[in-house]
Amino acid sequence: MVVRTRQQDFAEFYRSAADECLRTVVVSIGDQDTARELVDEAFARAWSSWRTVSRHPAPKAWVVRTALNAGISRWRRQRREVSVPDPARAADLPATGGASASQVDPQIMAALMRLPARQREVVALRLILDLDTARTAEVLGIAPGTVMAHMGRAMAALRLDLQPELQQENRP
Amino acid sequence: MNDNELSTMVRESVADIRSSTPVDQIISRGHTVRAWRRVPAAAGALVVAGGAALGVTALAPSGHTPSGKAGSHPAVVQLAAWTVAKQANGDIGITIRQLQHPAQLQATLRADGLPAHVSFTGNSGTVCQPRRVSGDVALDIYRFLERNGSDVITIDPSVLPSGVGLNIMGLPSGSSSHVVIGIQTVYASRQCTG
Repeated sequence: MVVRTRQQDFAEFYRSAADECLRTVVVSIGDQDTARELVDEAFARAWSSWRTVSRHPAPKAWVVRTALNAGISRWRRQRREVSVPDPARAADLPATGGASASQVDPQIMAALMRLPARQREVVALRLILDLDTARTAEVLGIAPGTVMAHMGRAMAALRLDLQPELQQENRP
Repeated sequence: MNDNELSTMVRESVADIRSSTPVDQIISRGHTVRAWRRVPAAAGALVVAGGAALGVTALAPSGHTPSGKAGSHPAVVQLAAWTVAKQANGDIGITIRQLQHPAQLQATLRADGLPAHVSFTGNSGTVCQPRRVSGDVALDIYRFLERNGSDVITIDPSVLPSGVGLNIMGLPSGSSSHVVIGIQTVYASRQCTG
């Protein structure tokens, strides 16, 4: 009889889920280095609560949610809105995402980064983590109908952005 | 392009991204997380002690001492978009009015001895690697202060731990009267902080 330890269980989960979780967070936030840091942190928390997480119906979704929450917490801690007399919008708003060009298609990542953050999260959870609408809604804390609406809008925007013939037509 | 083709395109765009952190490292980090949860009071004490130690370590190689700092000369660089003022005690005050000329702001901060990366694009690209420092150490390094009705970011370069720099990010807030400024501690490197 083979007795598996908790550590072996976790290691197997990590090996099977790490790449997928990382890709999901990269698509959600756009910056590959930050995503790696957040996903590592989320897996560390998963291990520290493995007794609970291992019984979760979707542990990969737990990791991704934890990583995204950690990103939000970090940003909240580190940012501050400052009042300005006459603010100008940044002239150099992102045309491309922050993910490393060597591992990510820059054109697709740029199109993803042009989506609103919530639409990007829905795309990441539905397409990369392969969650269904109900689970995606649960992870993001929104209604299933809202997930479908975000997904529909995101796909329409991506199609318009990425389809070569449409891009040609839209050029002046 | 139908939905399936588009979905495949998105999936394939990130298919080469792979996690490179060994599971042992994750487990080791998880043990630390658990330890901190169990003994929050002890962890808090460690943070204070660690912060103090880091401050001392940072002072030694940079050559700054409290008396040395007092002898520094104040200098102001002012553009319409922002002002950088180096105080006599070595602190650097930054007032941002417009999210413009990040490269000049970055060069000014570096000239003042601050290993810094400045971006007003919403992301730091891939040149900067986040480096964690405790909340207490971060508070020693930078603060947001209100002076004469303006928000000023005050940075004390002398307490930056060795090998640490700052990544300063600016974004429009959606409101006409505010911008969002984020500060992240990063590994100081030629590519990121100069």
